[in-house]
Amino acid sequence: MTYYSDMSEKILSPDAPVLGRTGSWLHRFANPGRFLRLAQPALPWLAAFSIVLTVVGIVWGYAFAPADWEQGDAARIMYVHVPAAWVAMAGYAALAVCSFFSIVWRHPLADLAAEEIGPVGAGFTFVCLVSGALWGKPMWGAYWVWDARLTSVLVLFFLYLGHIALIRAFDNRSHGYRAAAILALVGAVNLPIIVFSVQWWNTLHQGNTISVTGGSKIYITMLYPLLIASLGFYMSFLTLVTARLCAAIMERKTRALLLAAAEREA
Amino acid sequence: MNLTPFIDGSYGITVLFLIGIFVLTLNRYRSAIKRLAAVEKR
Amino acid sequence: MRTSKKRRLYLLLGCGLALSAATGLSLMAFSSTLTYFLGPREVLAKNPAPGMDFRLGGIVQVGTVNTVITNNTPTTHFRVTDGRASIPVTFTGVLPDLFREGQGVVAIGAMSPDGSFAASEVLAKHGSTYMPKDVEQSLKEAGKWDPKFGPPPDASTWNTMNVKASGS
Repeated sequence: MTYYSDMSEKILSPDAPVLGRTGSWLHRFANPGRFLRLAQPALPWLAAFSIVLTVVGIVWGYAFAPADWEQGDAARIMYVHVPAAWVAMAGYAALAVCSFFSIVWRHPLADLAAEEIGPVGAGFTFVCLVSGALWGKPMWGAYWVWDARLTSVLVLFFLYLGHIALIRAFDNRSHGYRAAAILALVGAVNLPIIVFSVQWWNTLHQGNTISVTGGSKIYITMLYPLLIASLGFYMSFLTLVTARLCAAIMERKTRALLLAAAEREA
Repeated sequence: MNLTPFIDGSYGITVLFLIGIFVLTLNRYRSAIKRLAAVEKR
Repeated sequence: MRTSKKRRLYLLLGCGLALSAATGLSLMAFSSTLTYFLGPREVLAKNPAPGMDFRLGGIVQVGTVNTVITNNTPTTHFRVTDGRASIPVTFTGVLPDLFREGQGVVAIGAMSPDGSFAASEVLAKHGSTYMPKDVEQSLKEAGKWDPKFGPPPDASTWNTMNVKASGS
């Protein structure tokens, strides 16, 4: 089957299934026009929820959560550092999933999503790195150390930057999509390394506080603001990517309409 | 060590990033709607 | 059509498997360099030559911290332990705020000929347990835990403790 090097003609008629010959739900959902119709009404709600949750979580952590027994007020940096780190990793996982769909099923929507996830994920990773450095200086005594956790998150940041550059590097967009998808999938091996780095090797970074399987080592009055801030960050990521994806689809549509008009005139 | 600059710095950069990216995204989203509507009207 | 998709899927899964195996093997092979510090036992086993830089990590042994101030610069002697072995450390300079007995630390430096570790830099390694100060107080008063002797007990024993938590 052929890959749509330019999907504009598909967007021109948004009701036509993008990969019409197969009728699975996935393909129907991957129709950019349908996505636009579903996502646009949800956007104001998504935005409202993300802003409220993020503001509540951040203000709670900054002003109302109790100081820590060991680190005092410096532990408040956790309420922005940890959510940013979680979103940075979840964003990369989403990028990898999109790349998988892009390579195996060649969904145009997956390519567009990958293109929009990159900058947002890189931003959250940057926030994680900077807030972590500002936490490390007063507590550890160093802004940066080359331990396994810090280094693997820095690698994540560079993977994001590489993806952002690669996906935009080709005149033929489909080449960029394919190359960037491979980079994203190869880079996904870094995700388990980040998560388990603090268990596999001696690191200056402390171990994981929140554990899915075992109990968490955090008091309930500090856990609530952390979870709310995290939910807010996750929702913000979702909102931002959805809005940018909608914008990208509309931009494609605009370009295709202009092209078609120019062709008619010629 | 005075912790305030470190805590405020972390929160500051986070809030600046969030506000910045929300505003940029909103602007892009709005202009995409506007331009599409203009082209569709022609 | 169907088969080409399936082929790509299997190809990708195969590549993923090979990549994970390769990464896992390299990580295992380099695991000694990926480790940020050595514990006292590993140091004693390796017996690094004096003057060779490495990082020593462990707990500041209770009752071994001794600071002498000469010409306005403090010199601190303490022992770093992992519970079984311990190594004496000498550091001249200001220690991080978190430094205390029972605190995790990473010291950067080299062995001296006299068998002690001369640190040029000391970093504090804090724990991953977060609790308000009054919970810590109640735990101490209840005799359940003393921060000098290791990390706090399992969270399930204190997360339900009836404490008037400030804030929140």
